Amino acid sequence: MRSSKIFSVWHGIPLFILLFFLAPILIILSSVFADYSENWSHIYEYVLGDYILNSLILVSGVSLIVMIIGSLTAWLVSNYQFFGKRFFEWGLILPLAIPPYILAYTFTGLFDSYGTMNEIARSLFNLEQNEMLFPNIRNIYGAIIVFSFTLYPYVYLICRTAFLNQSRSMFEVGRTLGLSQASIFLKLALPLVRPALIAGTMIVAMETLSDFGAVDHFAISTFTTGIFRTWYGMYDLTTAMQLASMLLIFITFCLVIERTSRKNANYSTIGSNFKPTQVTRLGSLGSFVCFFVCFIPIFIGFILPILEILNWSLRFNTSFFNEQFFSISLNTVLLSILSAILCTFIAMIINFSIRYKNSSVIKSINPFLNIGYAVPGLILAVGIVQLFVFLDNNILNSFEGYFLTGSLFGLIFAYIIKSYALANSTYEAGYQKISQTIDDSARVLKSTGLNLLFRVHFPILKTSFFTSILLVTSEVVKELPATLILRPFNFETLAVSTYIYASEERMVEAAAPATAIILIGLIPIFFISQMIRASRLEKS
Amino acid sequence: MKNILEIRNLSHAYDQASSIIKDFNFSLKKGEIVSILGPSGIGKTTLLRIVAGLEDVMDGEVIISEKVASKKNFLLPPEKRNLGLVVEDRALFPHLNIEKNVMFGISHIQERESLAQEYLSLFKVADLSKKYPHEISAGQQQRVAFARALITNPDILLLDEPFGALDKNLKEELHEETKKIFKNKDLSVLLVTHDEEEAKYFSDRIIEFQEDKIFIR
Repeated sequence: MRSSKIFSVWHGIPLFILLFFLAPILIILSSVFADYSENWSHIYEYVLGDYILNSLILVSGVSLIVMIIGSLTAWLVSNYQFFGKRFFEWGLILPLAIPPYILAYTFTGLFDSYGTMNEIARSLFNLEQNEMLFPNIRNIYGAIIVFSFTLYPYVYLICRTAFLNQSRSMFEVGRTLGLSQASIFLKLALPLVRPALIAGTMIVAMETLSDFGAVDHFAISTFTTGIFRTWYGMYDLTTAMQLASMLLIFITFCLVIERTSRKNANYSTIGSNFKPTQVTRLGSLGSFVCFFVCFIPIFIGFILPILEILNWSLRFNTSFFNEQFFSISLNTVLLSILSAILCTFIAMIINFSIRYKNSSVIKSINPFLNIGYAVPGLILAVGIVQLFVFLDNNILNSFEGYFLTGSLFGLIFAYIIKSYALANSTYEAGYQKISQTIDDSARVLKSTGLNLLFRVHFPILKTSFFTSILLVTSEVVKELPATLILRPFNFETLAVSTYIYASEERMVEAAAPATAIILIGLIPIFFISQMIRASRLEKS
Repeated sequence: MKNILEIRNLSHAYDQASSIIKDFNFSLKKGEIVSILGPSGIGKTTLLRIVAGLEDVMDGEVIISEKVASKKNFLLPPEKRNLGLVVEDRALFPHLNIEKNVMFGISHIQERESLAQEYLSLFKVADLSKKYPHEISAGQQQRVAFARALITNPDILLLDEPFGALDKNLKEELHEETKKIFKNKDLSVLLVTHDEEEAKYFSDRIIEFQEDKIFIR
């Protein structure tokens, strides 16, 4: 393949983007070397232990549950024929449409002392007003359930692919060696997908550590709530950044494990003598058990919250789908689409540069641009605020007041960094389908640089372009912590609006923005379900 | 007759350990058709890509129309070499119809549409001009690829196994037609193939690449 050693604009653009992407993160990390204030001593002495302990309990509990749900459901839909299997194959990812904070709000509405479920229980079993059938959910165990049932699809998806790639012959040998169906799963299939299982679980761990909305609603002291309180309660940004650095180091550790595991995730995949797994048809009892096991996660993670939101909507009619709601929706959609277009353009330029210049420098930049997805929105927001204050004070000081700080730029910047990995993966997949000979022919026909990009690559990759815009838009709509911090004064999005209503205990009014978020969140589910259907066809 | 292409002491390798082309010398005259024959992985396509400017050279020189096009640490980009390229998978742009594919390299010329029709007629695919690549057969796609490469009036036409994906009858039919066109237009052609019959039929000269040896017939 041709390589170009000459430094050009196609090398410069990725380097420039990298600088901007890494700046907020490096600013946060640099705080480790700053002076430690009295607030830090207070946090260190009284609450840091809680932050660490709660974060560890949360991550351990969630990891254990998602590993069980994700691997078990993936094994069942990959290896057995039972009632509803075709639906479950894609239905099991439905909870991904509901962000953890919305599940937390709906669970509060469902399971609080006077929540829907306890009210139903009281009327069904003639209980007293002070009696409760369902325990209080606003605690760390409730949070573990909330995170587990919204995030298990990450483990399910990666395990399902790994199980589908396991060869039947291996299990047949296992059976001849005396293993039962259950032992095949526990002693053969599961150990073989261990890297995939760990990779999926690490994504869940990172998402759990990054969350702000759900833990804040359940009043659990974790790193993210601590960072928020230190900044907005103590007005001490440096200490907030120092806390953020600790969390960032924690998350980097998860990221390294995830990346390493992902590399090994295909150690059990298709070889030359691959035979697809034989799907076992189950009797009525087995079919019922499998149906039940697969239905429960969807019921808890998707159907229950949807029912509760519908209940809120019906009980308080539709009056809150008012002008303010539509104005907030418009804000959200416009901001998300703008961010998605910019993010997609950046991914397009970077991937084009890699392809066009075939340079190892640009290739090595791309993984660093991708790490934004692992950085919690709250930390990113803190870094961006610091960066913008610096730029406003030192470079853009000819403008009256602040130009960048407190503007929509910060929000868009955060969304781009957080969503770049999504746009990039869409483009990478698209580029893999274009033969190198297309580029060679175009170049010989005198089409180079932007001409090659816009006359050849862009039209061929139109589907990747629009898919990326849809996926990033739906991701941005759900984003809460960065939006909460970086939004301009009095500017609301659907996520912020849901958060504000929920934090004021006006749960029913949160129904309108929450419904909108879930509907938009269904977009990527549609795409993933299409991919699952396609993989099913390939397999058959 | 003057040389349109000269390769002097060319060496190329993908890694330090193995050299794929070593100290190779070659020249192509105006209007001459030369085949590079040899098994897969021997370096035939690499040679073609070096001539096209799609690959750097490690040592030696490539001279096109009496100007140095490639040497160590220098590469005249492909778009400035005035070449035509036809590859086995045709590499037609899937988003453009046949006519626009053929006009791709001459978009700056005013009479591009009439010129496109002329070349499409020459390769007997004029009636397909509004169709898209996926709507026509492999043989028709190959004719379009030839029309697209020739319309720019290249100094040298580079062919990388252009008939490889076609069945025997279609291959023979296209051999005859294309050779006639190349000779009529006095084109200089460098053809890479692993098919000895094809090389014999098509070429004025054959360069055979074998393990550590190069034969000129």
